[in-house]
Amino acid sequence: MPAPAKPTSASVFARTALFIALVLIGITFVVPFVWQVLISLSTRTEVDLLTRLGFPPSLQPENYARVFTGGGVEDGGQLAQRVDFARYFFNSFFVAGWVTLLQVITSAMAAYAFSRVRWPGRDKVFLLYLGTMMIPGVVLMVPNFVIILGLGMFDNYTGLVIPAAFSAFGTFLLRQFMLTIPSSLDEAASIDGAGHWRIFTEVILPLARPGLIVLAIFTFLGNYNSFFWPLIITQSPNMRTLPIGLMAFDSSYGRETPLIMAASLMAMIPPIILFLFLQKYLVKGIQLGAVKG
Amino acid sequence: MIGKGRKRLLIAMAFLLPNLLGFLLFTAGPVLFSLYMSFTDWALAKHNRASGLMPSFVGFENYERVLVGDESRLFWNYFGNTLYLMIGIPIGIAGSLLLALMLNGNPGPSTRRSRIRTSTLAGTITLVTCIGAWALTTPGAPPEPGTAANVTLSTEQGLTMLREWDVQRARSNFAILCVATLGFLVTCGLAFGTVFFRTIFYLPSLLAGVAMFLLWKTIYRPEGGLLNAGVGPVLSAVQATVVGTPSWLWYVLGLLLVLAAAAVSLRLITVGITRMIYKEAGLTSFLGRVCIVISLLAAAVGIGWATVQMPERSLFPTDWKALDAADLAEIRSELLAEFPHADPASLDIIIDQLSGDPAERDDAVITGTRPLGEAELLEVRRAIFGAHPRATAQILTAALARTDADASRIGEIVFARSERVHRGYTWGHNIIVDGATLAGLKPPAWLQDARWAKPALVIMGIWLVVGGANMLLYLAGLSNIPPELYEAAAIDGATGWQRFIHVTWPQLAPTTFFIVIMATIGGLQGGFEQVMIMTAGKYDTVVLAYYQYQVAFEDRFELGLASAIAWVMCAMIFVMTAINFRVGSQMTNE
Amino acid sequence: MAQVRLTDVAKVYDGKVRAVEDFSLTIDHGEFVVFVGPSGCGKSTTLRMIAGLEEITEGTIEIDGKVVNDVHPKNRDIAMVFQNYALYPHMSVFKNMAFGLTLRKLPREEIQQRVGEAAQMLGIDDLLHRKPKALSGGQRQRVALGRAIVREPKVFLFDEPLSNLDAKLRVTTRTEIKKLHQRLKTTTIYVTHDQEEAMTLGDRIVVMSAGRGVGRVEQVDTPLNVYRYPVNRFVGAFLGRTPMNFLPGRIERADSRLWFTRPGGLRLLMPEAYEEKLHPYVNQEVNLGFRPSALAEHPFPKYSEAGYTLPVHTVLIEPLGKNIDVSCRMQDGADILARIDARDDFPVNADITFYLDMDHVHVFEPGGFGINIIHADREAIAPAQPQHAAAGA
Repeated sequence: MPAPAKPTSASVFARTALFIALVLIGITFVVPFVWQVLISLSTRTEVDLLTRLGFPPSLQPENYARVFTGGGVEDGGQLAQRVDFARYFFNSFFVAGWVTLLQVITSAMAAYAFSRVRWPGRDKVFLLYLGTMMIPGVVLMVPNFVIILGLGMFDNYTGLVIPAAFSAFGTFLLRQFMLTIPSSLDEAASIDGAGHWRIFTEVILPLARPGLIVLAIFTFLGNYNSFFWPLIITQSPNMRTLPIGLMAFDSSYGRETPLIMAASLMAMIPPIILFLFLQKYLVKGIQLGAVKG
Repeated sequence: MIGKGRKRLLIAMAFLLPNLLGFLLFTAGPVLFSLYMSFTDWALAKHNRASGLMPSFVGFENYERVLVGDESRLFWNYFGNTLYLMIGIPIGIAGSLLLALMLNGNPGPSTRRSRIRTSTLAGTITLVTCIGAWALTTPGAPPEPGTAANVTLSTEQGLTMLREWDVQRARSNFAILCVATLGFLVTCGLAFGTVFFRTIFYLPSLLAGVAMFLLWKTIYRPEGGLLNAGVGPVLSAVQATVVGTPSWLWYVLGLLLVLAAAAVSLRLITVGITRMIYKEAGLTSFLGRVCIVISLLAAAVGIGWATVQMPERSLFPTDWKALDAADLAEIRSELLAEFPHADPASLDIIIDQLSGDPAERDDAVITGTRPLGEAELLEVRRAIFGAHPRATAQILTAALARTDADASRIGEIVFARSERVHRGYTWGHNIIVDGATLAGLKPPAWLQDARWAKPALVIMGIWLVVGGANMLLYLAGLSNIPPELYEAAAIDGATGWQRFIHVTWPQLAPTTFFIVIMATIGGLQGGFEQVMIMTAGKYDTVVLAYYQYQVAFEDRFELGLASAIAWVMCAMIFVMTAINFRVGSQMTNE
Repeated sequence: MAQVRLTDVAKVYDGKVRAVEDFSLTIDHGEFVVFVGPSGCGKSTTLRMIAGLEEITEGTIEIDGKVVNDVHPKNRDIAMVFQNYALYPHMSVFKNMAFGLTLRKLPREEIQQRVGEAAQMLGIDDLLHRKPKALSGGQRQRVALGRAIVREPKVFLFDEPLSNLDAKLRVTTRTEIKKLHQRLKTTTIYVTHDQEEAMTLGDRIVVMSAGRGVGRVEQVDTPLNVYRYPVNRFVGAFLGRTPMNFLPGRIERADSRLWFTRPGGLRLLMPEAYEEKLHPYVNQEVNLGFRPSALAEHPFPKYSEAGYTLPVHTVLIEPLGKNIDVSCRMQDGADILARIDARDDFPVNADITFYLDMDHVHVFEPGGFGINIIHADREAIAPAQPQHAAAGA
């Protein structure tokens, strides 16, 4: 992040006051997560005592294991069968991973065609891409559902991965990124003897790396959290992704609050890790996204 | 550019084709397909492979149904809900701007050295305090079994007996936790400054999803939920204050509020007129002022009226209407329909429990006009459950429910009958507790109350987005403002507020413009996940996106109608964006 | 080393916008040619057509006798130095310089040797492992040069390579480029908008203009010839560190001599040598042009008659060291600039008389591109170096 602009050199008093205010606001952002951790460590009967005691009388770290085994849940055997969290985790990573990989590749290639090659009709096709970005996603859900049914991709991985593997937004984002790479670089490479594929892989892709990472993060997070599409396109429990699995868990075992909180906490960890490591790119990407307007 | 036109087209296609095919199949094609579907009566129940029937063209019938026909009542109601939830957008944007301004103000120590020093100090203090708290408050060795003093605590799920030692230890741990949390915030804030707070603020929007909504569902639980644990005491305090102050004071307060608003409005209007006369600003700017004045006055009158009413009517109604015989019969038949295996005799007991004035029920003997203390409540519970071991919830569950989900479904059926029936009816134990506390202000039931479910979603929404992308955009916008502008303004003698009004706000106008447009687009088609996870569409929380889902994918499978709904939403988004553009471009040009 | 020949080259964008027109030029083996002109004159476009980065709409370009219109840039055996250097930011200096050689599948030892030599020549051999981001502007410039050198191309193309450097560095790098050329003797085409760079670097310079709605060549000649004998008013105005003075007026005949007259009463005698050429312009509007250095306080031996004097009122002086620039106003209100030898007691706000060196006075037809009546056909009289056969407009 660039150094924040200094309107005036604030006094020590003002800075301290600001700091205290930020800490107070920070509390409201942290407390729900603390609460989540506490619940996830409670027993089911002690959950209701939490607001009165402030801390579980006895810690139950094994809740985290029970999410996977169902041990101790009323009707635990059934739970392990119906709520297979390991599978949900796998599905989410598998689907989000493939979508990310495919989307980054196809978007980068398309962006190259839109930003680096001058061909007849280019601007018209690009306008078509831009135009569909303005159309709200709700419009696409029903027809895509029918298309997926028709293609026989219902309730399997292809239905989850393929439709999400192509993105007008990703193409747009990477095109914007590639446009910032001076064209003299590929001209130099061209004089140096590089063809289009070599310019793409050895000059443009390395230089567009921040853009690729930004798109990869957005795509991964978006698909990891994706709810609507997996909800309508999958049916069998072993095709559920994490969000759907969490919802199913909640609706069938709503009183197992500690387990639900343990499961949702675990579901939150991958995005947090991703964010902490790639924060720089994510922040940049969001600020770049504003170019869209 | 290199190569000839034809060859370049081939090269471009080689790069573009994978994406273009997917784009045509899953984005561009479906748009046209959806438009076509919206003019047909396509319903998956009728037109499928098994039936072999093809959907037929029905012209604008679907649109007619949505806008004025049999679906219109639902549609416009849900549209209203969607708009209601969008109240959070301007509040959230203002919050984002505020947070960005705060983060931009270089909070905390300014030099690297003082950062290291102060954060080390804060970390040490935190550690020492934690250890001290642990040493001082943690009870000693656990007592021998059987010798411990016991404490009984009542919860939604019954009575829990705990050793006093356990309670003490939990409270001690809580104290340590509080110190540690605060210490963590202060230490990291001192050490990493803006970056740390930015990360903390950003986390909710990063994690917004099913997991986060499940967390908020527990936060919103009426009893044992985090929010009401905080709200409850506040409400008690409010009530005590209200009861303890003379009513004329509230009249004066309300009147003062309205007068203040009127004075501000007058000033705004006169300044606006003056500017128009001197041609400093156009009609649009004046109309903008009029809009602000109208909303200001409306808010003031509303709040003023509520203030005047304070002494007579508490903010949260303490009475409820008894169900009449027709209601009861309907509940009974619905329950029977839902749970055909239910024992009718048990059902009658439930219905009996629901009927009549609570004061007349046998367990209501203890319902006093005065709120009972916790100890008294415990006493009462013990007495009641001694006499009636099979109180309502148990009866319900035993008679009808095989799982918890069933039990909660029962609760919903009963509850949906009248929003003013206290949810305590469905949870036997709580009848007593609720009955006893009726005389006092009760914290809202949030997601289980049609009056509070939407505000609950709004509050959560604000919490989620306030530190998210918008704040980052504002931060970027702020760092792009040339410092010379502030310096020039300072030389011109502008105060902090004037600098904001004349430099910061106009310079951020493009950012705000972008944010408002994106938020409006997102808001109109959003809310599906929240509603699905947190209320499942109950308590009047259905939004347009959820409605479309219901029509298309839940029970009805009317794909044609659902497509029409999507296009109506699309048109609404378009209109709203167009309005935003008009107003926004005028604002940014000014 | 190679000869580059452009024949009637033109560039048309989108079928309408004509960027370059009628560009014909032969560049000899080992010659250093500079394209110079204001922005939009098509000099870069022409260079890029030679490089193969722009399609050639009309005409042909030959390198070493072979038409390269449809030859891919990589096969033209050229090297180019870009204005922004176009260094690959993700590659080290070594890799940047070696990239083209690697793509041409040269043996590793040879690549190392060539890069090493070039780096040593340019004094960047201790920077080879660094990334471009860690280099100063001047160092980047050298790397870009090095990248061109290692390829040992037939032709070097430079596209305003010095414009991103500060003034001091620009001058030293300029000298280095010239030295480099003397050492390597590679045919070089150099594009710049800076007339001083053009004058100092080029064996020949090609002055281009954008004034008539299309980029075209105005004059091709050695630097000194272009400076001394501009073919038209545009070239005269464009070259030279201080602007040329232009005075509109008429040619009139009186006392059997030709005079340049202005309505305010100014009369300048035209030397007899010019009379033949000026004869057709009697009683017509012309522009008199002369550089500030053509004025002096003392009479020139050749032109000491009264008809060669210019009475002015001095307004302002700007001391430059050896010279001073004097802003003057003539009696008829026209402003002119004179550059004369410096002296401490030069009178400001005084009426004085300057003498004109008529050898350096030009008479142009009216208009921004009015041709130089006296020197337009100079090619016939000017001593051109034999191997630099003049070509072009």
